[in-house]
Amino acid sequence: MKSLRFILICLVLFFIIFPLFMMTKYSLSDRESIVTGGKYPEPFFPFKPNLEMFEALSVRKDFAGAGLTSLWVGLLAVAFSLFLGAPTAFALARFKIPGIAILLFFLLSVRLFPDISAVIPVAELLLSRPFSLLPPVILVGLAHTLLALPYTVYIAKGVFESIPKDLEEQAHVLGAGKARTFLKILTPLALPGLGAAAIYTFFLSWNEFVFAYFLTFQGTQTTLPVYLLRILTWSPQKNFISAISLVICIPVIIFTFLVQRYMKEGLTAGAVK
Amino acid sequence: MPSSIKLSYLLHKLKSNLFTIGFFIPAFLYLVSFFVIILVFLLKFSFSEGIPFLELFSANEFKAALWRTFWFMGIATPLQLVVGLLLALLIQQSYKGVGMVRSFFMIPIAIPALVTAIIIDLVFSYPFGPINDLLLGRHGFFPQITGVPVNWSGSEFLSLGLAILGKTWRDMPISMLILLAGLQTIEREQYEAARTMGAKSWQEFKYLTLPLLTPAILTILILRSIENWKEFIFPFILAPAYPLLGVLIERLYHVEQNPALAASVALCLVALIGITTLIFTFITKMVRKYLVRV
Repeated sequence: MKSLRFILICLVLFFIIFPLFMMTKYSLSDRESIVTGGKYPEPFFPFKPNLEMFEALSVRKDFAGAGLTSLWVGLLAVAFSLFLGAPTAFALARFKIPGIAILLFFLLSVRLFPDISAVIPVAELLLSRPFSLLPPVILVGLAHTLLALPYTVYIAKGVFESIPKDLEEQAHVLGAGKARTFLKILTPLALPGLGAAAIYTFFLSWNEFVFAYFLTFQGTQTTLPVYLLRILTWSPQKNFISAISLVICIPVIIFTFLVQRYMKEGLTAGAVK
Repeated sequence: MPSSIKLSYLLHKLKSNLFTIGFFIPAFLYLVSFFVIILVFLLKFSFSEGIPFLELFSANEFKAALWRTFWFMGIATPLQLVVGLLLALLIQQSYKGVGMVRSFFMIPIAIPALVTAIIIDLVFSYPFGPINDLLLGRHGFFPQITGVPVNWSGSEFLSLGLAILGKTWRDMPISMLILLAGLQTIEREQYEAARTMGAKSWQEFKYLTLPLLTPAILTILILRSIENWKEFIFPFILAPAYPLLGVLIERLYHVEQNPALAASVALCLVALIGITTLIFTFITKMVRKYLVRV
């Protein structure tokens, strides 16, 4: 039994690592290792591993532009969704609201639409006046806020529920109003949990493709995943594409290991009773 | 005098409620207005601009996409369930290094779907790519399977198969986590009781784990079938020649510049998801009833 488990784990790990290995390998490959012309099989390790592709990327202005756009879109999505979501989560966690189940359903309802269906109306709306006057960074940020907000509310609700109510009562006794209690007592306590929601939102935005693709279809300014697709259609060079892919993946992989606990909560939210 | 007291009481109540409302409203307003906008746009575009739905349904392009999506959903959903169950069983017990294994099993969900799709596209490239090299027997350690290189993106069956592979690879952790949560609700005593009665591990799995896991399995079937109906990125990259409904929506919107038609296909997709969810919810209820009776 134990050896069977060991073998299965090794197989699954191989299955998981293989594409990542190939991506890394291609990104370090020299020309001979990827353009074989059918004379010899593609090697499992590049003949002459090098960092040329990353050097080429580091001087490309369009790549830096896409990276910055991704960064700004992510930060905007984090700011919007925390600013909108944290108070709502607090209200859900603390106040008695009549008909709360229906309200909760409405909060999540927008995610019932498939992304590819929802993106048509959202693109039609945001790409027509007056919204189209806004810079694309803000448009994509607004769309990503729409995707992340339900999760933000859900995570932040849990965070506020975990803070003991006594603290608020004591603050109230000492004469602090509700708004002041929220800002001065609860927010600092909730910050680590809200930070997790922020990281979750940031990487949701960093990885997101569909909305960014539709909203920046015609412009030059775009996010990293859409930039990757454009490079794929213009010059499908295995090593260059893999280098871009790797640069997109590295921050996400690192943070997955760091915030796994919260990712789990976000992924399985409401799934198991 | 009493009326002024009553008034001030009402004002006070309104004030305190205003606070609650003020706190609650921001995210709520944002999400609900988008919900309404999306719904109204989809309905308006589909019905007011004279898109005959009957014509859409009889269009070959739409019919083909619908069937492909149906098969995609029908194959990918059980596959994802089985893979998720395998992974969950592998990390359920505690052994040395289980935390590390668990972390590694989480990696696929962190990789952007687009990157996964593109890497699969590179690995299965035609005519010269690592997988074709293997199948042609060009590496000494692997037997030759085919004489000519396989053109993966040129065949409907193979390219959609790759899309299913990619989707399953990327979403493994989700099914795994839900099933793991389900497994952890099963109490240890039940296994011990089974063992004292002489149950073998296969019997334990068949008569104990699977029935108790049924709710989690049904949850996965619902969530995964929704997710697979609406899949876009993997077929978009790996099977552009054989569009699913999602890919068809993109093509109608960008290539044919026909937002009205795109919206009506999008609305069909929403309806399909709704119907599937209803069917699965019904099945879930029936199974629960059956389980309770037994």
